[in-house]
Amino acid sequence: MFKAIVSASTLRDSLDAVSVLVDECKIRLNEEELSIRAVDPANVGMVDLTLEAAAFESYEADGGVIGVNLTRLEEVAGMANADDLIHLELDEETRKLHIEVEGLSYTLALIDPDSIRKEPDIPDLDLPAEITLEGAQLNRGITAADMVSDHIRLRVDETDETFHIEAEGDTDDVDLQLESEDLIALTAGPADSLFSLDYLKDMNKAIASDAEVRVELGEEFPVKLHYEFAEGLGTVTFMLAPRIQSE
Amino acid sequence: MRLDEYLEYEADEAAERRRLAEEKNYEILDQLESFENRFEEHVTDDSLVGSVSPSIFVGRSNYPEVSTGILSPVGHEDDAGRFETSGEWYDEGVGIADVFERRTSLLNSNRTGVGVDVHDAWDGFTGVQREIAIADRPVGVEVGLDGRPEVDYDVSRDDVATPVGPRATAQSADLTENPHVPRPVEKTLEDDDWQAQGAINYLYRRGFDVYDINTILSAGALGQAENRKLVPTRWSITAVDDTVGQYLRGTLRGNRSVDSVQVWHNEYLGNSFWVVLAPGKWEYELVEMKAPGSIWNPDPDAGTYLASAHEQFEGRTGYVDETAGAYYAARLGVLEHLSEIGRQGKALVLRHVSDDYWGPVGVWQVREAVRHAFEGEHGTAESLSGAVSEIGSHLPVSAARLRRKSTMAAGVQSSLLEF
Repeated sequence: MFKAIVSASTLRDSLDAVSVLVDECKIRLNEEELSIRAVDPANVGMVDLTLEAAAFESYEADGGVIGVNLTRLEEVAGMANADDLIHLELDEETRKLHIEVEGLSYTLALIDPDSIRKEPDIPDLDLPAEITLEGAQLNRGITAADMVSDHIRLRVDETDETFHIEAEGDTDDVDLQLESEDLIALTAGPADSLFSLDYLKDMNKAIASDAEVRVELGEEFPVKLHYEFAEGLGTVTFMLAPRIQSE
Repeated sequence: MRLDEYLEYEADEAAERRRLAEEKNYEILDQLESFENRFEEHVTDDSLVGSVSPSIFVGRSNYPEVSTGILSPVGHEDDAGRFETSGEWYDEGVGIADVFERRTSLLNSNRTGVGVDVHDAWDGFTGVQREIAIADRPVGVEVGLDGRPEVDYDVSRDDVATPVGPRATAQSADLTENPHVPRPVEKTLEDDDWQAQGAINYLYRRGFDVYDINTILSAGALGQAENRKLVPTRWSITAVDDTVGQYLRGTLRGNRSVDSVQVWHNEYLGNSFWVVLAPGKWEYELVEMKAPGSIWNPDPDAGTYLASAHEQFEGRTGYVDETAGAYYAARLGVLEHLSEIGRQGKALVLRHVSDDYWGPVGVWQVREAVRHAFEGEHGTAESLSGAVSEIGSHLPVSAARLRRKSTMAAGVQSSLLEF
């Protein structure tokens, strides 16, 4: 059983965070919250998303799992204005999701959850550095790095207590240096890793510019990006495996 | 930089290339003269030429109104097959001068301003051309020419089919025998509801090499009816390399990875190739280092020219700006090897174009050199970056410069499962 009413913007923010990595996913319809966890086919990027029942206008669920084509669901959600309410109801018999947006009804065929890639276990990482900054700052660093390269280096200078977003291109270099006073918070530690911009750019697209992004970082280790949406009732963790120099 | 410096360079470039080619081998010019002599002997009356044709050519300028021609080695009818570009050229060990000799021996009887929509055209000049393309051996033709062939010795920037042989405008073309068409090709022809990609991969799986498929695609003989168009030879080569490569890449997705870092090497026609295979999910990059004085970097003081293109596990979405057709040709060679051993992995291909590469022979050279790189012994290394530093001493650029240019030399993509 699943029946919910949610604002189009909240639904879209949720779907956007997942669709940067996968085209289809399982959605867990727990009693207290909706949750999605997915990893891309190369096992490079992962997303873990939770949207609390309180983020919905109304929410009733009993722990079922559905498989959805994200692209299609995003298109349907895209038919609504940001403030419009979207009605969702699962038909258990036909295994279809009924969606209603301002007089438009859409019946979405679901995908057998067993046919979707297994949800990943979240690697248990103890990352030594933690940086909290605004989405806009991260976006600025990524945009600049993208001008010169297809990979990006995230680094903490422990002595200066600064966070660096760097890129080395064919001929040009980029370094966005953020002092602790520029940041919302900084726990310095040994942290220096290289990441694919293809992935990071996509993840960054899902992050609002006024969101607080908590970055956990290590040396040649995956990075974790945490942020909230839907007034703190939705949380997302992205995890991205690094590009490494030596194995 | 001042604008006039740039303009001057543009003008010099073409002249310089021509000078290089001429200095290195005068035989090419002799070759064109000897063509004229042979041609005299084979012209039955004023304009009718009887020969055989192993292949066709479709130009790309002015698309969709293109120039398209029947290629025939006038005076060499007995061994016409060897004039058609194929993997056998590598096995034969042809040199750059041999390639030029073969290419310039082919008379291109062509028509210009031909519309590319040909799905139901099986008569007239286009029809004859398509029959030649689908046949698996050279076909007897009689071409009526409008005037004398023009000998146009031009080493152009086109890295595929240059230099070209003599050209003449064709008034008419007729087959003098029934072409032999292999059964699988007939099958793809008959099914005009079959997308070109599927038909290309079908032919590849049935043992046709990309050279044959390229000619068939180029003649507009593959794909769904409304999409059957003449495809310029150069585009067609890249399309087939890319399509077959995507197919092979798809078949490798679930495979185990190679279990060690391997370094393979091959050298052909002044080009050195190192292929580094490393454990992990599929990832590929071609880095080209073009020596000053080589054909695409003619200025001896220019320094090594670097180009690269890269793809991750799911391929690339953007167009390959740098390295162009060589990217897909080298990728095909790597994927065929991985497919043969039933593994996947990370592949970094380093191509050093030395100044011995004085004339452009086409991307087949890249494809065959990489395909044959996996013969014989290979070196080993602890990691991909270790392999790159070992190779470093043979390369014309510093490790730092290579790392700046090459995504994979800077770092290879790890998986979350490794942590």
